[in-house]
Amino acid sequence: MIEYLLDTVVRAIAVGTPLLWAGLGEIYAERAGVVNLGVEGMMILGAFFAFAVAHTTGNPVVGLVVAGGVGGIAALLHAFVAVTLRANQYVSGLALAMFGIGLTGVLGRGWEGIPLLATLPEISALTYLSVLAAAGLWFVLYHTRAGIVIRSAGESPAAADALGVNVYVIRYLCVIFGGVLAGVAGGFLSVAYRPSWTEGMTGGAGWIAIAIAIFAGWNPLKAIWGAFLFGALYYLSFRLQTWVPPELLRMMPFAFTILVLAATAGSRRGEGAPEALGLPYVSGQR
Amino acid sequence: MRWVIVLAVLVMVVSLAATGSAQQKLKAGFIYVGPIGDYGWTHAHDQGRRIAEKTVAGLETVYVESVPEAQAEPFIDKLVQQGANVVFTTSFGFMDGTLAAAKRHPDVIFAHASGFKRAPNMATYMADFYQVYYLNGLMAGALTKSGKVGYVGAFPIPEVKRHIGAFALGVRAVNPKATVHVRWIFEWFKPAAAKEATAALVAEGVDVLAFTEDSPTVVQEAAKRKLASFSHYSPMQKFAPQHTVSGQLVHWEKIYVDFLSKVQSGKYTAKNLTNVDYWWLLAEGAVELGGAFGVPINPAYKARLQAAQVTTADLGRLSVYDLVMKRQAQMANPKMAFDPFTGPIKDRKGVMRVAAGKRMTVGELNTMEWAAPGIVGPWAKEP
Repeated sequence: MIEYLLDTVVRAIAVGTPLLWAGLGEIYAERAGVVNLGVEGMMILGAFFAFAVAHTTGNPVVGLVVAGGVGGIAALLHAFVAVTLRANQYVSGLALAMFGIGLTGVLGRGWEGIPLLATLPEISALTYLSVLAAAGLWFVLYHTRAGIVIRSAGESPAAADALGVNVYVIRYLCVIFGGVLAGVAGGFLSVAYRPSWTEGMTGGAGWIAIAIAIFAGWNPLKAIWGAFLFGALYYLSFRLQTWVPPELLRMMPFAFTILVLAATAGSRRGEGAPEALGLPYVSGQR
Repeated sequence: MRWVIVLAVLVMVVSLAATGSAQQKLKAGFIYVGPIGDYGWTHAHDQGRRIAEKTVAGLETVYVESVPEAQAEPFIDKLVQQGANVVFTTSFGFMDGTLAAAKRHPDVIFAHASGFKRAPNMATYMADFYQVYYLNGLMAGALTKSGKVGYVGAFPIPEVKRHIGAFALGVRAVNPKATVHVRWIFEWFKPAAAKEATAALVAEGVDVLAFTEDSPTVVQEAAKRKLASFSHYSPMQKFAPQHTVSGQLVHWEKIYVDFLSKVQSGKYTAKNLTNVDYWWLLAEGAVELGGAFGVPINPAYKARLQAAQVTTADLGRLSVYDLVMKRQAQMANPKMAFDPFTGPIKDRKGVMRVAAGKRMTVGELNTMEWAAPGIVGPWAKEP
C-alpha cells in the first residue's frame, strides 16, 4: 500500500513538473491580461531546441537555457501581435501553437532517431524549483508592489495607466516570462522526462497547462495541486486498468482535475478571471 | 556548317520524341497518416519510399504527411493532379477514401496498406509482425525472472491483439506459467502515455517489456530501470544498447519496389488488381527480427538465451537461442514449416479457437479478437 502510494507520488511529480512550469507562465501572462494559447507551440520549440543543443554541446542545462530563450522569443512574437498590433489574442495564440509544431517538424527532420547521452534526471532541481517558483510567484503576485502592478494591468489597464503604470511594458514582460517558462517546460520533456526528439512529442501538454492555469483560478499555489493531481491521475489511469475499464479511465485525469479545481475555487475576490483578460489595451481609450 | 546545325537540331527533336513516347513516366504519390518524423509507422513508410525511389529506375515520388484519416480524398486528388499515376495510402482509416478515389480516377493505380477492400485499380498490402512477435515472446519468456512480462498496447484492435497474442504464445512456449500484462494507451503516438503505462506495469512486477507505440519511450524507460525490452518498428536498440533484446523491424521498400517494378513492366495495370493482396512476412523479407538492422538478437543477451533450455515437441531439447534461430529459419522458408497460430489453441477463457493441426487463415488473423492464454488485463470486444 505504502509502495503504491509512493510510486504514485513519484509519477505525479514527474508528469506534473512540466505542466506546472508552463502553467505558471500562463498564469502570469493572463494575470497581465494577455491570453496566450500558444503554449503548445512554445513548449515544442523548447523541446526541440533543448534536445538539439544538449546533443550538440553535451550539456542538458545549456539546452534548457536555450529552450527558455527560444520560448521567450516565440512569446515575444505573440506579445507584438497581441499587445502592439492589438490583434485577436486567441487567433494569434493558436497561430503560435501551429507555428511551433510546424517549424519544429521541419527543423526536426533527421533528429528523430538520435539517442541523447547528456540527460537530466527526471526528478531534479527543476522539480523542486518548480514548487519554490510557484510559492515565490504567488508571493510576488499577492504581496508585492510588482504583483499589484501586474494584476492591475490585467484587471483594469486604464486605471493602471492613469496611475503611471506602463501597461504595454508589463504585458510584454509577463507574456515573455510565460514563454520562457513554457520553453523550459518543453525542454524538460526532451532532455529529462523522455530524452529524445520526436515530432509532436509534447502531445497536448501545452493545452493541459492552459487548463490548469484557468482552473487553478490564476493562482500559482493552486497550480501546484492542479499539476501534480493531474500527474497522479494520469499515471493511475494506466495503473488502475486491471480494475476499471480503460475506456473510462482515459477521461479521468482531465475530468477529475477540472472538477477538483473548480470545486475548490471559492467566490473570494481575486479568484475570478482578470477583468481585462483577452482585451487589447489602447492608451487613452476606455 | 549549316548542315551540321540542321543535323544537330534533327537529332535533338528525334531523341526528345523518342523518350517522350517510349518510356511513360512513373510517378508515385504517398499519403501518410502521421509525420515522417514519428520514428514509427510513417517514418518506416517514408524510408521505404526513399529506397524505392533509388531502386526503381525512372521513378519519381511525392508525399503528403499528417493527413487526417477521414480527409484522404482531396489529398489523393491533388496527387493525381500533380501527375501521380500510382498512389499509396498508408493507413487503415484511408480505406474508404481510397476506394472512392479509385472509382473517380479509373486510370490511376491505387494501393492501400492494412485494409481489405480492393478494386480493379486498387490493391492492398501489409507487412505483418506476428511471426516476429512470436520470436520476441520466446526470448521474453526465457528472460523474465518474475514470470510477468509487460506489453504497452496502442489500440485494442485485431492487428494489435494478433501481435500480443503471438507474443504471449511465444512467452508460454518457453515459460508455460508466465503471464503477459497489458496496458492500453489508445494512441499510436503518445510518449507520455507510453511512459506512464510502462511505469504502471513495472510497479505490478513486470520485468520484461514489449509494446506498440511509435516512439522509443518504452525502450528508454525499461532501460532506465535496467529491464529488458523489445524495440518496435524502427531500430531502437541504439536508445538502450545494453537492454534491448531484439524487436520488430519493417522493410516496406520490399513491397514498394516489387509493386512499382510490376507496374513499370506492365504486369500490374489499372484493370487487374482486384486479387492483388500483399500479406508479406518473414519469408518475403518484409519484416525482420531485431532491434537494429542485421542484429536479430543483441549480443548482450546471447549468453543468457543460450543458457536457457527448453523442450519442444518437434525439435527436442535445445537452448532458447537455438529455438529462436530455428523458428525464424522455419518461418523464413517460403513453405512456412512453422506458424505460431497452429492449433490446438484455446483462448484465455478456455474456448477452442484453432483446431488441432489447423492454421489460422489471413482472414482469421485480420479479424482476431480473442485473447491468447497468459494474457492478463482488459481486452475490449473479447468474445
